[in-house]
Amino acid sequence: MIAAKTYHKCQSVEEAIALALKHGEDFRYMAGGTDVIINKFQGNDETNCLIDISAIPELKQVSNDWNVLRIGSLVKLDDLKKHKTIADHFPALLEAAHSVASPMIRKTATIGGNILCENRCIFYNQSEWWREAVGYCLKCEGDVCIATGGKKNCFSKFVSDTAPVLICLDAQIEVFDTDGVKLIKLEDIYTGDGVNPRQLNPKAIVTAILLPLDKDYRCVFKKLRPRESVDYTSLTTAVSIDKKGRIKIALGGVDPGPVVAEGIGMSAIDSLILQVFKKARVIDNDFYTRPYRKEMIKVFLQRSFAELGNTNKQFDN
Amino acid sequence: MNILKLSVNGKSHEVLVKGDEMLSEVIRERIGLTGTKIGCEQGNCGACTVLVNDEPVLSCITPALRFDGAAVTTIEGISTDGRLHRLQKIFVEKGAVQCGFCTPGMVITALDFVNKTPTPTIDEIKESLSGNVCRCTGYKKIIEAVAEYAEGITNDQLPITNETSIVGKPRPYIEANKKVSGSAEYADDIRMKNTLHAKFLRSIYPHARIESIDTSQAEKLSGVRAVVTGQELPVRFGVLPVSNDETAMAIDKVRYIGEVIAAVAADTEDIAHAALKLIKVKYLPIQEFLTIEDSQKDTGLNERIHTETKFQNNIHKKAELRFGDQQKGMEESDVVSKMTFEFEGVTHAFTEPHAATAFWDENGLTIITATQVPHYLHRALAKVMEVPLNRVRVIKPYVGGGFGGKSDPFPHEMIISHLARKTGWPVKIRFTREEVFISNHGRHPSQMTVQLGAMRDGTLMVLDADIAIDGGAYGSFGVVTTYYNGVLLQAPYKLDNFGFKTCRVYTNKPQCGAMRGHGAVNSRFATESLIDDIAHRLQIDPVEIRLKNFLTPNTVTIGQYRITSNGSRESLMKVAKQSDWKNRHGKLEVGHGLGVGCGFFISGSALPIIWNELPQSVVHLKLDFDGRVLITSGASDIGQGSDTMLAMIVAEVLNIALDKIFVLAADTLITPVDMGSYSSRVTFMAGNAAKDAAEKLKIEILNAIAKAKDIAIEELNLCNERVFSNDKSIDVGWMEAIGILVSKRGAVNVIGKYISPKLGGDFKGAGAGLSPSYSFGACVAEVKVDTETGKVKILKIWGAHDCGKAINPLAVEGQLEGSWHMGIGQAISEEMKYYKGLIVNNNFLDYKIPTSMDTPDIATNIVETNDPEGPFGAKECGEGALHPILPAIANAIYDAVGVRITKLPIKPEDILNELKRTKQTEAAMTI
Repeated sequence: MIAAKTYHKCQSVEEAIALALKHGEDFRYMAGGTDVIINKFQGNDETNCLIDISAIPELKQVSNDWNVLRIGSLVKLDDLKKHKTIADHFPALLEAAHSVASPMIRKTATIGGNILCENRCIFYNQSEWWREAVGYCLKCEGDVCIATGGKKNCFSKFVSDTAPVLICLDAQIEVFDTDGVKLIKLEDIYTGDGVNPRQLNPKAIVTAILLPLDKDYRCVFKKLRPRESVDYTSLTTAVSIDKKGRIKIALGGVDPGPVVAEGIGMSAIDSLILQVFKKARVIDNDFYTRPYRKEMIKVFLQRSFAELGNTNKQFDN
Repeated sequence: MNILKLSVNGKSHEVLVKGDEMLSEVIRERIGLTGTKIGCEQGNCGACTVLVNDEPVLSCITPALRFDGAAVTTIEGISTDGRLHRLQKIFVEKGAVQCGFCTPGMVITALDFVNKTPTPTIDEIKESLSGNVCRCTGYKKIIEAVAEYAEGITNDQLPITNETSIVGKPRPYIEANKKVSGSAEYADDIRMKNTLHAKFLRSIYPHARIESIDTSQAEKLSGVRAVVTGQELPVRFGVLPVSNDETAMAIDKVRYIGEVIAAVAADTEDIAHAALKLIKVKYLPIQEFLTIEDSQKDTGLNERIHTETKFQNNIHKKAELRFGDQQKGMEESDVVSKMTFEFEGVTHAFTEPHAATAFWDENGLTIITATQVPHYLHRALAKVMEVPLNRVRVIKPYVGGGFGGKSDPFPHEMIISHLARKTGWPVKIRFTREEVFISNHGRHPSQMTVQLGAMRDGTLMVLDADIAIDGGAYGSFGVVTTYYNGVLLQAPYKLDNFGFKTCRVYTNKPQCGAMRGHGAVNSRFATESLIDDIAHRLQIDPVEIRLKNFLTPNTVTIGQYRITSNGSRESLMKVAKQSDWKNRHGKLEVGHGLGVGCGFFISGSALPIIWNELPQSVVHLKLDFDGRVLITSGASDIGQGSDTMLAMIVAEVLNIALDKIFVLAADTLITPVDMGSYSSRVTFMAGNAAKDAAEKLKIEILNAIAKAKDIAIEELNLCNERVFSNDKSIDVGWMEAIGILVSKRGAVNVIGKYISPKLGGDFKGAGAGLSPSYSFGACVAEVKVDTETGKVKILKIWGAHDCGKAINPLAVEGQLEGSWHMGIGQAISEEMKYYKGLIVNNNFLDYKIPTSMDTPDIATNIVETNDPEGPFGAKECGEGALHPILPAIANAIYDAVGVRITKLPIKPEDILNELKRTKQTEAAMTI
């Protein structure tokens, strides 16, 4: 049923990248695979080679040095809570991870996979037959966005729930690329383009997520979805404030990329909210309508800041 | 291909596996363990869950090769030495198993969860199961089972198997052990030698002429055994004789996106799939009709969906009935409430996708298929295959839920029968979840304007409804649905002036049909919303106004329905009391509310769908020298527990234990005709037939003893597996009695039957909704509404349903809880979304069935009124219970925030908009 003639399970990053180099463009890395396999079932991914990296031991570690928390990219979403440092410093990250999909999927899906998960749209995440019937959209080599009727932009949704929180926590990712290891700010990998939502060498492997431990973040996470489990996000909001009063907002589910704004002090809040509200390119490709999700951006952010304020009286000025 | 080594349930396997094979495929198709189920192919239903090295894995979305060298435990490996695991036992005893399709995944998920969280809270249990879809139980009994397992309680109140007086006592399903251990075979689990696999090419246009189909390339593909198109099966069929408007595959034109155009039978599913891509179809798209409005209009020069319809539009059926004097009723009313309602379509979403295997041999056609109505399929297959009725055999295996969605004869059943005849091999089909959604047959999207008038004292004076329903491309049960929307409003309230106008249109979308609560769910919602509104306007308590207007038992409605037992009052009073209605309704803080709704439904249609003189149900009993009673019945157990019900009734009459009873059901060659599992008829009708048969068998036994012992039959008793005389001078055990019975005679066969009494008026349309008995019920819902987001959280449901008499209270509770759960879904989250006729949310991710976490605490009440004609007083409980829950939720939202939503599903956005509108109106009024 699916287009993947060969399957390889790698024991090291080097082995995986070497294999990828052999296959040109015709491969797909797979961590947990809970999204990748379904995209393959539906014919949205027609690569012929699956490179399964889920067994690489060193990517499953969580460690803590020089005030930086290093979370291996293959740590399963369900396993994050087992690490006390994460629970102590970043409870919002646990909340976000816990809000992803269903308990069963979280036992397979990884944090690395979640930040790199493919954008979604109700007109794209469909079977081959379905997409033929509707007429192919921009994201599957068609020439029109079905949701908007536009011919230029694809507005598939960025749906990672952990990424907005990680962005608010100033996460960096460690990328093992064909030319060496790099550290990149997480938000910098997202392009905001629905067709190609990430600017990463397809052969590169994200090996870890790094979080500063010395900034005393307070962070509030919220997710809008019709049901209390299973669903992808219709709107994810994360807001944070660090010990210096620096405020950061990141939204998911309302744009092809995360929508991010930063400022200093609680007085900046209103303008930051307005900024992300205007920036978010919400369209009708979700269970909830565009106006409703737009409206909820404000409601969720105001509530989040109220919650932050309640626990952070000292930052009120 | 790679070699995969696996230890599965302790047994080593080495299999050659392709890179794209999922673990589920290896387990089911290579190793042959079919307890692991495939429900959604996306990891959203959890039915495929297995343990790999003691960790749960969704086997249908995980490549098998990932697990080389691993130890896999499937459901078949959970029990040891033929003994169920304690959790499995509790699932059985608690009634956590209904259709059983989700059970293997559910058990494995729960086992893993409790292993890791030995002392869980109820919320943690709900959360842990929230990735496993159950459509039958409403999760309540599953959650209770897991909680009990975690608490380590061993249940001492086990139903004792040798008990002889069991009607009214909770009893696990007789087949529950099989289901919970993964050995029950569903249609997709049937394995036959040399089976070919079928795949269907489906239309990509909603309305188009087929100009040509070129199958030549597909036929050439190696491994393809046959390619067939519509011309080969020209005979029309449909479940109702009045709308035989469908062919197995499209001929000349397609009427919806997804309609089958051609079918391939090949050696493997992959080959069949590849062959589909080689079939070339030339379409000429024509004007499509996608909405009720479009289909009601004159089509002008455009081609109608069905050119044989009466009108120059796409209206399929119109009906109108009027009783009393509605105009006078309106005039005499002090208050009239009128509202317009809109309902999206919803679908059954049973967990088991349609599947079937067909083959031909010297006995003609045999088809093993997931169906609710073997009898109507039997007739339809004979018609479409153009063979005599005696050349068709329909066998129903275990069925993973139906809810009305497996009650039509389906094109796929015709097509594989044809492919099997053409190729000479067995042919199998199994649907993808997307195909299940395309097949639909779910609840009709509906629009209606309803008016209700009342006197100042709350007496209801008049009801008028104007209804239009969207039937999709074909008829299905639609003519019945059209009527039910109207006629079933004539109760449970006394209405002397009542009438409705109703119409069903064809549209270029998948067809709609019968779904749990058939026809009356939406119009019931409307009526109960209006009563609530009138109560508020008259400042009468919504419970009081209902109590004031209920019909009494033993009465006749204005449309000449004969009401016998009637538990409306008791049901409503029960839920009002439990919810502390008097002290809480209208008195809770803003955003927090209570709402009430009532229901009414038929307990079996008194008229057969295809007019004939057959009894509605016949049950045969055979008793031979071994002392075991064989029940043969055409009734279809689709997870609702009808096999167990039959066994309990026979056991009760003969006063023997269930272990002396064997049920053989739903095989049209062997079992006598029963009309099938639809219209909530099985307990009432097949139950009565079983009771009739058992009583006859009892007389046979007593007669034999009376004759042998030379005593008057009146002196004899059959009790507790003994036959004894009043003076105890004669006292023989069961086996001895049977020995006497079969002596010089052999096995004894008796026939029981049920024929509905003549009912109803003699006007046109009088037959719609006639039933020998009716069910009643009530629900109270408690909700919280977030006034900033519009989100509704259902906190608690109190439900009560008059089922006459609960033959098996465990099964009845399961039906009620499942109904309420399904109703919650339609009320707040489920809808069939279309884009230009194409179903968009065709999977368990985007079609929003409430998860275990979205399901509130449920208080279940069985109300018993002992129906005079039901078996032991029993009547239906599987559909009617759904009706009151939807309006109860909407009315609770009104109580919480003062807005009335007249559109289902109720979306947060609609609540917010209404709140804003109300505020604006209020602001305008203060200025």
